[in-house]
Amino acid sequence: MVAVSPETTSLPLALEGLSVAYGERPAVQQLTLTVRPGEIYGLLGSNGAGKTSTIKAIVGLVRPVAGEIRVFGLDALRDSLAAKARIGYVPETSMLYEALTPREFLEFVASVRRMDPTAATRRMQSYAEAFRLEAELEEPIATLSNGTRQKVLIVAALLHAPPLLVLDEPLNSLDPRSVRIMKDVLLRYVASGGRGVLFSTHTMEVAEQLCGRVGILDHGVLRGEGTLAALRERVAAGDVSLEEIFLRLTEEDVGVRAAVDSLGDPSV
Amino acid sequence: MSWREALRLSDVAFTELSLQAVFAFRQGNVLPAGTPKSLVARSRRRVLQSKAVISAVVGLLTLGAAAILHQKALNPEILSAVPVGLFQSAILTGLFSLDIALLWWTGVQVVPTLISSGVLTVLEPLPIDRRTLERVSTILYLRLFDFPALTILILTPLGVGLALGPLAGLAALPGALVAVVYALALSLLTGRFFLRRVQGSRGGGGRALLRWAYLVLWLVPAFAMFAFITAAPAFFRVLAELALQGPSVGSGLLAAAFPFSFAALPAIAAGGTSSLAILSPSVDLVLGGAAAFYLALAVWSIVWLAGSVRTLLFLPAQTPVALPAALSTLRPTGLARAVLLKDLRIASRTPGYAFLILLPILDAGALGLLTYATPAQNPVAASLALGAVTTAALLATFFGPAFFAIEVVAYSYGRSLPLSNRSVVFGKVALICLMYLVAAALIVGFTLLRFFQPFTFVAFVLAELPAVLAAAFVELGLLFRWARRRGLAITNLYAGAWFAVLVSVPGLILAGVPPLLFDLTQRLGTELGLGVMALVAVAELALATPVALGRGAS
Repeated sequence: MVAVSPETTSLPLALEGLSVAYGERPAVQQLTLTVRPGEIYGLLGSNGAGKTSTIKAIVGLVRPVAGEIRVFGLDALRDSLAAKARIGYVPETSMLYEALTPREFLEFVASVRRMDPTAATRRMQSYAEAFRLEAELEEPIATLSNGTRQKVLIVAALLHAPPLLVLDEPLNSLDPRSVRIMKDVLLRYVASGGRGVLFSTHTMEVAEQLCGRVGILDHGVLRGEGTLAALRERVAAGDVSLEEIFLRLTEEDVGVRAAVDSLGDPSV
Repeated sequence: MSWREALRLSDVAFTELSLQAVFAFRQGNVLPAGTPKSLVARSRRRVLQSKAVISAVVGLLTLGAAAILHQKALNPEILSAVPVGLFQSAILTGLFSLDIALLWWTGVQVVPTLISSGVLTVLEPLPIDRRTLERVSTILYLRLFDFPALTILILTPLGVGLALGPLAGLAALPGALVAVVYALALSLLTGRFFLRRVQGSRGGGGRALLRWAYLVLWLVPAFAMFAFITAAPAFFRVLAELALQGPSVGSGLLAAAFPFSFAALPAIAAGGTSSLAILSPSVDLVLGGAAAFYLALAVWSIVWLAGSVRTLLFLPAQTPVALPAALSTLRPTGLARAVLLKDLRIASRTPGYAFLILLPILDAGALGLLTYATPAQNPVAASLALGAVTTAALLATFFGPAFFAIEVVAYSYGRSLPLSNRSVVFGKVALICLMYLVAAALIVGFTLLRFFQPFTFVAFVLAELPAVLAAAFVELGLLFRWARRRGLAITNLYAGAWFAVLVSVPGLILAGVPPLLFDLTQRLGTELGLGVMALVAVAELALATPVALGRGAS
């Protein structure tokens, strides 16, 4: 059990023994991790490793079968509304109210977040301008491309300047310009102090560039956690990439080679 | 590839469609526990149950019409001013109109799900030829309507045959067939129209008004089933006048109108042209020509459907026109109001939801007009108006719970927001009250133009309001409890909508009891009746609120 102390109340996120299951099938097992103030924490894992299940539990979409989730010391399972108020969330897939326009959707989000109209408008306008969304603000979401929908979700997550951002593959479908903007926004965001970001990805380069610490999930179990340097030390490797560390920790490095070898010549 | 291959592929696509419609996992709903096999079986069973319910309604309508035809055949003195053949044609006109309305309504409900599911998108890049894809799409589309359509096609000739004889039964078949084809074509047409002009409409107040105007225009034909029942007495009066005149321009116009041209055929087969009393050689010609034209149109519709279903299912997303950047502003509101506003905005681009809002209101408008048309000295006029308000309350509480389904859209995102179930319930209850108040205002407005008794009518509307609130609270409270327990999405007619209908039962009772008590007590004095009504309605509200806002619900 995570004790509530001044330290934990300043921690953007603390998971303790979190387990998620779908029926009999476990998705996340006994996961313990923290996101520290001023930190971008990268949650890495293959497809089906449990990243999205972990994130869904944090934002209240899935009820964990065991464990605790604390957002700035608040018990997210008991006091879910207060915890959700402190979180900005970008889901893995852009599931939105298709019949609304981005402006209508953002207005709904701003209402639920009880935002002041002036601040909400100012923040929407500045993010819409940065992500070149202005022309699409009045188009129904159903008619927008995946990349534009993703931008809408990012703006919605940042709209109320939450102290904790929970991002599930947020750079998917974004154009290179928007990816660059998003990376810079995140780095500035945590630099302003006290805030934290939980960032799930299976793109190792992005994690290397952005994350202070990473956690490697495999079949719902945390195989390793720490800074890039600490992880290199753990796998007793030299100047290897995060991808190599990931494969070694998940014991898939041999499997990858065998799989490629078994394919033979792809042109044949 | 063969039809057999198309049938096999369409079966796979239909399984996927059923799964998506029932469990809404594409909207982020978490699949309930169970093996894939059991989930598939469960979704197929639910779709089958829903189809069975619609088929039962269609079947009951057909058998009811057949029973009326049989009664008239046995007792020609019923509505003696209308000749037997003309009466039978009128009943079948009503039946064919209702068949079209019900099938079309089904289409309006399920076609958007079919389009948004994208079940065939996965087949498009595969090496399957265009013709097979068209066949798969057509079979899939037909399967949305199969049981209800087959019920119409089988029961109509059978019922008419039992009532009027085998030849008449056979003569009813073309009308039933054309009704089914038209309903399917209308479903596709409106599906495409709304996708482009309503769902794809940009934001902004002016455009919202235009969307609602489109939706009202579009609803008028769907509203025909209620309008037809409401207008039936006037229709029979017109028929009696036409029968008195004999063959005339009016009877020629009637003979040319759909579906009368087909509805007259069984009557002619049963009793000859003289049984209608409005036919003559020239009117016969008009009738025959019109029937042939509508039949040709139906054949063309079948060809059009076969070629167009696929294009609809693969309708490309509209590329937004790059307009000059406008200075958009956000105006956040209170939580319940935000939910209400969101639902209204979604409804303005979603015909299924718009239908639910507009139906009670349009029905109120029709009933209000009827009240206005009733002579003021008629003792039933005032009761008619109060009955209309009751109907508005019942319809609002019947259709309102369906708006719970909106919460399933973007489910995963919506649940991540700090929005309590209580706020959602308040927003939905506000919508139901709004529907009731707008409908009641229409009726009261028309009624006050006729006989000025503002106190009675306004007091009646206000006394009923707590009962409407109570009904809405109970219905939504039960829906939330059920959804929490089952984790099942109520997305459309084929996705467990039976529960949304079921929760309407206590809602209808709660909304119906106060007007019933008013009816019983008003003989002792209108004020007393209104007082009793208000008291009971407030008591209901006091009892119902904990159901919606207590533990387990919110």
